[in-house]
Amino acid sequence: MAAWVKGGAADVDAAVEAAADLLAASRVPVLAGLSAEVSALRAAYRLAETLGASLDPVSGPSVYAELGALSAGGAMTTTRAETIGRADVVLILGNRPWDGDLIAEIAEAAPSRGRAAGGERALLSLGGPQNGATRHVAYAAEAGGLAVSLGHLRAFAKGHLAGEAAYADLARRLYAAQYGVVVYDPEEVGELGVEMLQGLIRDLNESTRFFALTLADPFQGRAAVQLSAWTTGQAPRVGFGRHQPEHDPWRFDSARQIAAGEADAALWLASLPAPRPAWLGSLPTVAIVGEGSPEAAGETAEIVITVGVPGQNVGGALWNERRGVIAYTEPKAATDAQTAAGVLARIRDRLIEKGVSC
Amino acid sequence: MLTRIHGGRVIDPTAGRDAVGDIWIEDGRVVAPSERKPDRTIDATGCVVMAGGVEVHSHIAGGNVVMSRLLLPDLYVSESAPNGHPFAHAGGSGSWVGANYARMGYTTAVEPALPPSNALATHLELADIPLLDRGGLAVLGNDDHLLQLLRDGEGKQAVRDLVQQTLAHSRGLGVKCINAGGASAFKDGVLKLSLDDEIPCYGLTTRKIMSALLDAVEEIGVPHPLHVHCNNLGLPGADDSLVATLEAAEGRRIHFAHAQFYAYGVVDPENPMTGGFRSAAERINAAMEAHPNATYDVGQVVFGQTVTISLDILRQFGGRKGAKPKKWVLSAGDAEGGGVVPFLYRPRGPVSSLQWAIGLELMLLSSNPERTILTTDHPNGGVFTEYPRIIHLLMDAEERAREIATLPAVVGERSGLPKIEREYSFSEIAQLTRSGPAKLLGLTDRGHLREGAKADVAIYRDQKDRTAMFSHAKLVLKDGQPIVEDGEVVAWFSGKTLSLDVEADAGMEKRAESYLQDRFGAGLDTFAVPDAAFPENTGTFEDVACRA
Repeated sequence: MAAWVKGGAADVDAAVEAAADLLAASRVPVLAGLSAEVSALRAAYRLAETLGASLDPVSGPSVYAELGALSAGGAMTTTRAETIGRADVVLILGNRPWDGDLIAEIAEAAPSRGRAAGGERALLSLGGPQNGATRHVAYAAEAGGLAVSLGHLRAFAKGHLAGEAAYADLARRLYAAQYGVVVYDPEEVGELGVEMLQGLIRDLNESTRFFALTLADPFQGRAAVQLSAWTTGQAPRVGFGRHQPEHDPWRFDSARQIAAGEADAALWLASLPAPRPAWLGSLPTVAIVGEGSPEAAGETAEIVITVGVPGQNVGGALWNERRGVIAYTEPKAATDAQTAAGVLARIRDRLIEKGVSC
Repeated sequence: MLTRIHGGRVIDPTAGRDAVGDIWIEDGRVVAPSERKPDRTIDATGCVVMAGGVEVHSHIAGGNVVMSRLLLPDLYVSESAPNGHPFAHAGGSGSWVGANYARMGYTTAVEPALPPSNALATHLELADIPLLDRGGLAVLGNDDHLLQLLRDGEGKQAVRDLVQQTLAHSRGLGVKCINAGGASAFKDGVLKLSLDDEIPCYGLTTRKIMSALLDAVEEIGVPHPLHVHCNNLGLPGADDSLVATLEAAEGRRIHFAHAQFYAYGVVDPENPMTGGFRSAAERINAAMEAHPNATYDVGQVVFGQTVTISLDILRQFGGRKGAKPKKWVLSAGDAEGGGVVPFLYRPRGPVSSLQWAIGLELMLLSSNPERTILTTDHPNGGVFTEYPRIIHLLMDAEERAREIATLPAVVGERSGLPKIEREYSFSEIAQLTRSGPAKLLGLTDRGHLREGAKADVAIYRDQKDRTAMFSHAKLVLKDGQPIVEDGEVVAWFSGKTLSLDVEADAGMEKRAESYLQDRFGAGLDTFAVPDAAFPENTGTFEDVACRA
């Protein structure tokens, strides 16, 4: 474990003290990143509440593409295992789902459970890279992008548009499903596209079963959403500046707050890898980062404290993309590294001792 | 420290106690009256003293509860938080749940839907509910592994081992089945399911699945009987489903969840689904009288906006067009999944008024309140903070008549409520909210004030306005320590999560690992709820022993 204060190596106690001083002196602090295990997220919410700070996960764009559509119209979803076990029709939207191992895994198996068991699985794509390695029927996106394409597809499916267009054929294939699944990345499809797609799924469910399988962001965003919801009753972004949790994705966008000069101090939490924010170094910042990460260096921020990396040298409850749940991950090689939750709690304790309260 | 609660009217129906007297407490337990001088005396003159309230069925944690917050972020209101009580005023949060139960004098609450596939997140959320002891009921009855065992005709031993393994890994306090087979059938296109309808692809029925679970729960010795959510919730004729399920239990212990939603008799047998419903409270209670092996919780409806949360995805899909506001979420999960459908019990609306009346009628016709436990199936019938108002209506016939007078005539035409004159006594309220639920859960250390009980105690000022009386306890002790004074939280206590002390059979564990790897590409470790996941809450869990 290591720590730096103003570029110089420091012991952790001194760095915690300096972090508490830095945050205590701020008027509008922000806690950003939040790419971390659940215990660290939990500690960050408690620290933010004490400070009157706001919280903004780096996963924001993915989270909001999904949450905006969800709170507007709802959703019908399923899981990876149900898709692999039951789906006879799988529609893959856009490019992002092709990046990992999911599509290959879906393509390799046929339905083994439910009424489609024993039959074949049809793979369809819309607006994808037309990946030649996996056998599927590809439909091109329209010039307006995925959201517009989904609008037209839904119109054909509902009979609001007629004719022998490619999307009419695609709509027929979707209606023929016994257990259909659409796989997509909310960030790639966008909020409007997700809303239109969920409308299409609702329409399909008037006569068959059809669900969405959405890809999670890689920065623990879904764990942060759950923790935030049970802790504050709200999804992130959340601010505590007015003595109560307030959910406001625009107001508590840390990049916006910092660019506008609203925020005067930041805490960057990334015990797991996360893209380095452009604003790092532009305002007094405490960085709590994973040991061995590129940010684990004195020049990253005014105060830098390294912590154990969950799943590597400490354990932690993490979003498990394969299972689609929070699962505990044992360390590959446990060390006595301090945890992010422990460091955040120590900073909070010092703030309370200093009499800081929002 | 020796504490004496002095001069209050002590209500403990398990000891036949309803008289002014004292309660003595030491080391977190109720003790015999002492000759020693107490270190602390609490003056309870003019007050009613009861054991802490015990909740058996309230949706307070889990993925679907989280989803309800995301779907309806404006359902609850957040208020400014006094220093020292972080998040307690954050509407709908776990801290808000704990604080509001505690203010009413409740000290234990059970989440009835702990999905084994998502157990860790549910337990992390439960652990963040302060002030209360908590627990969760592991849900079984739609998972492919169990249905495969049953389809393949494997014996009772295999089913028992799988249930035990699931309980051990999910750290459940008991077992619940929700429209057994219904979620599986829904995924295969079925939209209505009754007790003996075939579950596609498995050749099973709800009766067969439930019966296997009833046996397994008994053989494991789970203190809480199988907690059953029947078929056809909320539909006219649902009383037939409940009564048929009761008979299908064939004398085995069984608990029915939210019976009010099943106490709907058909008005027009020629048009059962369109002719409306009438109260079947008398029929349900008569059936309970004839089956002493059964209990139910009520699922009382209260007027206003709420959100319904259920793992019964078949039913939630069926109810989607009644969503208000018009948005809903349905997830076809690894077993059940969940449905979240906002709903408005329209104030003074004919349907909601009849539902409201039926819940009260069930409780007022009950010959044994210990078997008819007060719940609103939070938040499905309404928010749990309405309990004081419901208690008021049970205890005060005049207040009830005043409310009925504001409601449509259908309340008198299709329920017997207006004719009931009964008023609940304090002892009966204690049975309904303390001793009954504690006995039902098999928690022998609470729900009463006899020697040896946990010193979970609620002290209320005896006021004619029972709503005010039970909304804000004068004093609440948790394990002997004050957590609420004059209706406000005064100490930020962290309770325990109660889980059954069972161990998975090694053979079944190996078999489950193989099954899960094949189905999920991930093993039992991703289903586990290890102590290490709760670093700030060392000692989060407390074991509850199985029945001998």
